[in-house]
Amino acid sequence: MTTTAAPALAATMRDGYKDYGHGEAAVRALDGINVDIARSEFTAIMGPSGSGKSTLLHTLAGLDRLTAGSSTIADTTITTLTEAQITEVRRKYIGFVFQSFNLIPSLSAKENITLPLDISGAEVDKTWFDEIIGILGLADRLTHLPAELSGGQQQRVAVARALVSRPEIIFADEPSGNLDSRSGAELLGFMQRAVKEFGQTIVMVTHDPTAAAYADRILFLEDGTIVDEMREPTADRVLDRMKQMGH
Amino acid sequence: MFRLAVKSVRHNPKRLILTAIAVALGVSLVAASHTFTNALSSGFSGLFSEIYAGTDVIVENDPDAAETEGGDPFAAVEGVFEPSVVDDVAAVDGVEVAIGGIQVAGSVLPPPSDDAPTDPFAGGGGAPSQIFNWSGIPEIDQSTLIDGRGPESTGEIVLDVDSAPRLGYELGDMVGIATESGVEEFELVGTVQFGESNSLQGATLAYLTDDDAHALAGDANFQQISVLVEDGADAGAVAGSIADVLPEGTRAITGEDKAAEETEALDDVLQYVDIFAIAFALISLFVGAYIIVNTFRIIVTQRTREFGLMRAIGVTGSQVRSMILLEAIVVAILASTIGIIAGYLLALAASWLVSLFVGDIFGTMTLPVDAILWAYGLGTLVTLVSALLPAVHASRISPMEALRESATSGKQPLKVRNIVGGAMALVGAVVIWMGLFLELERPYIYVGAGAVALVIGVTLLAAQVLVPMAFGLRSLLTRMFKVDGKLAANNIRREPRRSANTAAALMIGVMLLALVATFTESLKTVVTAQFSQTQADFFVFSGQGAIPTGAIDVLEDAEGVALVTTLGVDSAIYEGEGRAVASVEPSTVGEAFEYNSEPAMSELGEGEVFIDPVIQDLGVEVGDAVRLEGPEGSVDLEVAGLYLNEGDANFWVDQATGEALFGDYSILQALVVLDDGVDVDEAQTDIQEALSEEFPMVALQQPGQLEQLANTFIDLLLGVISALLASALVIAILGVANTLLLSVTERTREIGLLRAVGLKRSSVWRMITVESMVMAVFGTVLGMILGVSLGSALVLALEDFGFDGVTVPWIWLIVYTVLAAIAGVLAALWPAWRASRLDILKAIATDG
Repeated sequence: MTTTAAPALAATMRDGYKDYGHGEAAVRALDGINVDIARSEFTAIMGPSGSGKSTLLHTLAGLDRLTAGSSTIADTTITTLTEAQITEVRRKYIGFVFQSFNLIPSLSAKENITLPLDISGAEVDKTWFDEIIGILGLADRLTHLPAELSGGQQQRVAVARALVSRPEIIFADEPSGNLDSRSGAELLGFMQRAVKEFGQTIVMVTHDPTAAAYADRILFLEDGTIVDEMREPTADRVLDRMKQMGH
Repeated sequence: MFRLAVKSVRHNPKRLILTAIAVALGVSLVAASHTFTNALSSGFSGLFSEIYAGTDVIVENDPDAAETEGGDPFAAVEGVFEPSVVDDVAAVDGVEVAIGGIQVAGSVLPPPSDDAPTDPFAGGGGAPSQIFNWSGIPEIDQSTLIDGRGPESTGEIVLDVDSAPRLGYELGDMVGIATESGVEEFELVGTVQFGESNSLQGATLAYLTDDDAHALAGDANFQQISVLVEDGADAGAVAGSIADVLPEGTRAITGEDKAAEETEALDDVLQYVDIFAIAFALISLFVGAYIIVNTFRIIVTQRTREFGLMRAIGVTGSQVRSMILLEAIVVAILASTIGIIAGYLLALAASWLVSLFVGDIFGTMTLPVDAILWAYGLGTLVTLVSALLPAVHASRISPMEALRESATSGKQPLKVRNIVGGAMALVGAVVIWMGLFLELERPYIYVGAGAVALVIGVTLLAAQVLVPMAFGLRSLLTRMFKVDGKLAANNIRREPRRSANTAAALMIGVMLLALVATFTESLKTVVTAQFSQTQADFFVFSGQGAIPTGAIDVLEDAEGVALVTTLGVDSAIYEGEGRAVASVEPSTVGEAFEYNSEPAMSELGEGEVFIDPVIQDLGVEVGDAVRLEGPEGSVDLEVAGLYLNEGDANFWVDQATGEALFGDYSILQALVVLDDGVDVDEAQTDIQEALSEEFPMVALQQPGQLEQLANTFIDLLLGVISALLASALVIAILGVANTLLLSVTERTREIGLLRAVGLKRSSVWRMITVESMVMAVFGTVLGMILGVSLGSALVLALEDFGFDGVTVPWIWLIVYTVLAAIAGVLAALWPAWRASRLDILKAIATDG
């Protein structure tokens, strides 16, 4: 993907600071970060543990608040919003895929997928739903409860849920972290397709170079700041870069 | 091991808070009642020793002798000591004084006033009066003169120092005393003080001369002889010597022993209060047991990995089990201690409240040992038994569980539970049916036992009944509350046992309420039916039990009265046992009241008797001959009919037979029928006024007024029982809150995910609230269905006592349902608050 002609921005962060704790015990997780997430791009965030990559994802997605600085989602500044308004933004513009425990155990696969729409009371776009289900190969699993699905299937349901409301941006936190390599590759392939074919914006945190290689662009984080950026990565180049960072 | 258990409790006290409150609430009832009755007992034993302190020996009717002889149950009413006996006692060695005592059944009247209208409700009662003969010896009278002098010649009276001004009398005034035979007046010559502080609790105390007392009581004998012994003489020894000169069936007892005996008798009564309180405490703790089971079950589930780890490093299953049971004991001891303290404070508050109304009747407030024993015993037992099953479950956790990715709750099938529950419910229902339809003796015992089995069965089945029902509501809830409703319905189904136990706790409380409400409402119907059996315009009663014959004459002579019919109830001997005999006037009774008898009561002829179901059960049939022995003589009667209600009187005879048995028998009740066209209210005022001159203690009331009065008492009964059940209901609501709180903790990640995906805080709140309301309403509805059914069964079983139909307390049922919904909202407050405040990041953190 090189066609980033006039990239509108799906999410931004300006001078983002995040401190945990107070006084001497204070830890600075984000140290004046500036990020632009372009639309229809698959961005990966990498870095060693403690680098602040999860914090960056959480603050960008409005799950956590910055100590200082500002961030936007779909041109809306979320750092000044109330809790209820941020919830509204998440519901409207954001999809999530977590490493594990993505699904509500008591709801069927189909109900889990349409959950965001149910919450906001929106209609399910049948054609779009069927298209996603087709691509993800979930058609015969819709009535199953999460406990009856394999790990890979569960994560695909989570991706379907993230896609179904056509959000401005999807945040994924180690989505393939708990999967075997084949299922992981499958899942990341689907995510890549979503970006290419439907123009979906995805931001993914990972520490796995192979996973990061599916992205269009990688941001390398260390000690709360972005230290490097890589376009059109391959697993080998990513691995080399990581080694440079001493990991 | 014990330290581990204590640490575990201390480490996570929140999850055990509500469990502890539940135990403490139940326990506090026991502690409160024991403390209360103990103080009451010590207060009264102080009072009794004050009363009998002055008297060295009391000579009285021997209560034991009267029972064992059985031959003369009528003696107790009358004086047994002829004046000569008093002289005999006085002549016994060591006796200084012996004084005969007699009490008059009567009332001291307030001065007549023209303007005050006679209140029909007060007319029959008023403050009780205690009227005795005056001896002039303070130790024996238990009173000392304050003003004036004692009654010395006939026609004189003294009153206690508080009553005289309260009633409005001054020395020299004429004081009216009403007895069975009418009103007589006496001149007030002095005032006295009872004991040290004249604490009579509102009663009026009066003393007359011996002669007047004998005359008013209509009895030349004394009921009791009070004895003072000479200085240095031993009261016990003197009592022994006195006993030798006494007539049979009487005894001499020292004042000290008498006080102890009275205290003991009171303690026997108070013991029932304690048993009553323990019964309600048990209900509360039974309900609490459901909460405890739930709590420990959830705790075990949450700590599956912890227990798995313990097992992996070599802890045995039985050690895990003992650890949980130890935790239960720690909780029980803490909770019981809190309950005892709360109960003690409750008793303090109650005694203070009672003191405000009736004066200080309490001794020192101490926490009796048996209160502590009962409280710890019950608290620990209930907690331990409830924790047993979860503990056994925990001991079976395999070390492998520690290695599993997520703590999965073992989804054991509900099979065993269903089979046992179904069997118990079935057996219960069958036993109830037997009680109702097989014409067994004492059907209510079968109905009661069946009810217990049915309730436990339904509780067990609730997991299978309630949960599908709740799930059936899913689409409705989804429509009403969207996703929140759907999720709430799902959550209830997810842990069917837990939801069922939670709802069952509430179900039991509500069931008892509904049962009592059904019973009392049906009782009201009975009352209404009773009064609809009458064509009488007035029921006439007397504040002194029996209506004087003179009053009957007044009624008969009153203008507008068509007829008066009377009912007397006395005791006669039938086949060696005392039985209640009702004497009616067959010639007039038909016009006034329709007794439930076959044939009608007006068919009762001379020499004939109607028998009730109790006598019937002895094998007596219509046509048989029975022989009744009364104080005035024996009569042989032919059984001519059946009286169909149990519990009123065993035999029904006409007035001629009544007179043959009892002489001038005492009239308990009279019915007045007015001439057509006479205004009832006006007649009531007129007749009451005519009575008030001579018979102010006789009151007449319209059936409607009586019905209202009876219904007020029934409502009061319902109120008292509801109040006592309140603690069980509070515990049940705590149970709902507890279950939700624990499951919110369990669902932390799920709620975090929902929040991340965009569920608002208010929606999370609503989800928990809907869950709570559904559980509360279902528990309540199930409880009401059970309660009304069992109440109806009980009412049908008691048909012999006059119940003739079930009245469903619809209004109460609606009230309970609304309250349940509100309670559901309230119970959800804390859990919902916690759920909606959950930190999303913590909730979705990758590592638990």
